[in-house]
Amino acid sequence: MLSVKGLTANVGDKEILKGLDLEIAPGEVHAIMGPNGAGKSTLSHVLSGREGYEVTGGSATFEGRDLLELEPEERAQLGLFLAFQYPVELPGVNNTYFLKAALNSIRKARGEEELDAVSFLRLIKEKLKILHLDDSLLKRAVNAGFSGGEKKRNEIFQMALLEPKLAILDETDSGLDIDALRVVANGVNALRSPERSMIVVTHYQRLLDYIQPDYVHVLAKGRIIRSGGKELALELEEKGYGWIDAEGQAA
Amino acid sequence: MSDAAFTAFAGWLSESGEGSRPDWLESQRLLARERLADLGVPDRKTEAWRYTSLKGLMEQGFGRTGETMAALQPDDLEEVLVPGLDAQRILLVNGRYLPELSGQGDLPAGVRIGGLRELLASEPDRLREHLNAVAETDAQPLFAALNTAGLDDGLVLWVGRGVVLERPIELVHLSVGLDEPRVAQPRHLVVLEDGAQATLIERYVSLGDSIYCTNTVLELSLGRDALLRHDRIQMESANAFHISGLYLTQGADSRYLGVNIGLGASWSRTDLNCRFQGEHAECDLQGLYVAGDGQLMDYHLDVQHTQPNCNSREIFKGILHGHGRAVFDGRVFVAREAQKTDAAMSNRNLLLSESAEVDTKPQLEINADDVKCSHGTTVGQIEPEMLFYLRSRGIGASLARRMLCLGFAEEIIQRLSAEALRDHVSERVGRRLESAPMN
Ligand SMILES: Nc1ncnc2c1ncn2[C@@H]1O[C@H](COP(=O)(O)OP(=O)(O)OP(=O)(O)O)[C@@H](O)[C@H]1O
Ligand SMILES: [Mg+2]
Repeated sequence: MLSVKGLTANVGDKEILKGLDLEIAPGEVHAIMGPNGAGKSTLSHVLSGREGYEVTGGSATFEGRDLLELEPEERAQLGLFLAFQYPVELPGVNNTYFLKAALNSIRKARGEEELDAVSFLRLIKEKLKILHLDDSLLKRAVNAGFSGGEKKRNEIFQMALLEPKLAILDETDSGLDIDALRVVANGVNALRSPERSMIVVTHYQRLLDYIQPDYVHVLAKGRIIRSGGKELALELEEKGYGWIDAEGQAA
Repeated sequence: MSDAAFTAFAGWLSESGEGSRPDWLESQRLLARERLADLGVPDRKTEAWRYTSLKGLMEQGFGRTGETMAALQPDDLEEVLVPGLDAQRILLVNGRYLPELSGQGDLPAGVRIGGLRELLASEPDRLREHLNAVAETDAQPLFAALNTAGLDDGLVLWVGRGVVLERPIELVHLSVGLDEPRVAQPRHLVVLEDGAQATLIERYVSLGDSIYCTNTVLELSLGRDALLRHDRIQMESANAFHISGLYLTQGADSRYLGVNIGLGASWSRTDLNCRFQGEHAECDLQGLYVAGDGQLMDYHLDVQHTQPNCNSREIFKGILHGHGRAVFDGRVFVAREAQKTDAAMSNRNLLLSESAEVDTKPQLEINADDVKCSHGTTVGQIEPEMLFYLRSRGIGASLARRMLCLGFAEEIIQRLSAEALRDHVSERVGRRLESAPMN
């Protein structure tokens, strides 16, 4: 589904991704862990097409298509979704209007009919329930004045609505209280399916207790330096990243 | 610019002798005429006209809108009405009050609504105290003096002591194209006595896209503890000239909530003047202007804190696209005795093209030491992070830009007094942005 090979990317003169490889098959959940500043968000942004990054080498294909030459909206229309580490506030942009524009843009690009107001509202109410979110959210401006946790829940709510093929969750767990974490994890698990893949970026084992990954990768200094099963996360929790660094040096 | 040019421009003034008026009004008109001669035509060296040229206006060969009215059918109105807006409508066509096409409704006791002409004939004394008193004749700037010199018709809204007028009054200025370009000079007087409350919706619309000029003056007098909500929506024809001067005096504890929306006209100038006459009054001036190719919108605010303990807010936002231009000149004056003044002014602009332009000049002139005053202006583009957020959800770039612009405008639009009006303005702003190329 996603194939990243030797990806290198700069911000300004600084190289952040330094030859990154990642293969994700349909239905798989991959966790990416790694120290602050390693390049995890940079990878998410480069994959979803944010401006300001220069890809200097390597490739990224999504279902056989060259991701890197597509506009951000085209990637989303193909089924890529990024839950932001820092969701953006859009003052004055009504949430319902936003959700409808997003859903219908994606449907239209796929040659499906736009949803009428009634079916749209029904769908939205159903998804709100999954995330334990209140109706009043719909009347508000997108993320404007939302608490940190509400913003994160809103990201997963959007994911539930847009039903992507590949979702990248960038530290969706940070800033969530214990109950919210469970709700969000349940929301994510409800979306797991043999066709849908996920990249879960996190610093904490706790999220992975709820969302059990098939693979765990350690991203450090712009590269995946170690991959393993879910037991790798437990090992990291115990020993920290220094351990791999040291081993890596020795090897 | 020469004064000869002005004389040529205002030649139609001399035709406006018809009708009988009380003596005091005749002498005010004369006084204004003399003032016009003294004032002369400002050029770009005059501070108030530094960024805005009068040349295009002066070069028009205007006639005055006379008695002859284009035949207007009630159906014609449909096009310019706000769907679903519940209000008592007063219709002016080319500056002339048309009672037969205005809405009829039961008014609470103590409320007087009528044409200025009509009330000058029937109740001149009632008007004398306020007309040219809120805007004093010998201090009026050029276009207000011009309006006074030809003072003839408009609306009078009078709300008596303690009366709450629930239903909004909608004042529709409709311009209908005539064979030659004309000037209409409606003159309005709004008086809210102590404790009175009202909502006034003032709209400028046109049928067709002909060239004309509206030069309107509003005098608003708010008594003690009065409340006026005032929505002003300028959607003149794309070729029109629009000049509007608002003169407001506020008694103690009164509140004025004004929202100014500017979408139309090729050249427009709006002057908002507010003066406090008692303590603990509150004046809220908000505005949204959207200017594109061939449009200039010039706003001048002058808020006089001459009393202690008053609040004022001046919040204006602008969206400029294509070759659109805007001017914001906001002045807040705080007199020495106006302690505990709380004033906040902001002007934020969104520039959607490289050829769009805005000149913004907020000024605080503070002479008291115990006050809270602030001002801020920004001129910027759409935030890339916001744009990316929308696009990452599958929304195409042009729709995403439009959504963000509308979001920017929404803060002001939401201040309008009625939902139907908010929807109407949102829809029009959205439509404008749709046709505006964005890069
Ligand atoms: N716009 C930018 N300008 C300059 N440096 C940047 C920019 N964006 C990212 N960087 C740098 O790139 C490096 C990687 O940042 P990134 O946000 O990808 O890290 P991360 O792995 O997501 O870290 P965290 O765990 O703290 O979220 C950091 O050193 C960061 O300072
Ligand atoms: Mg990060």
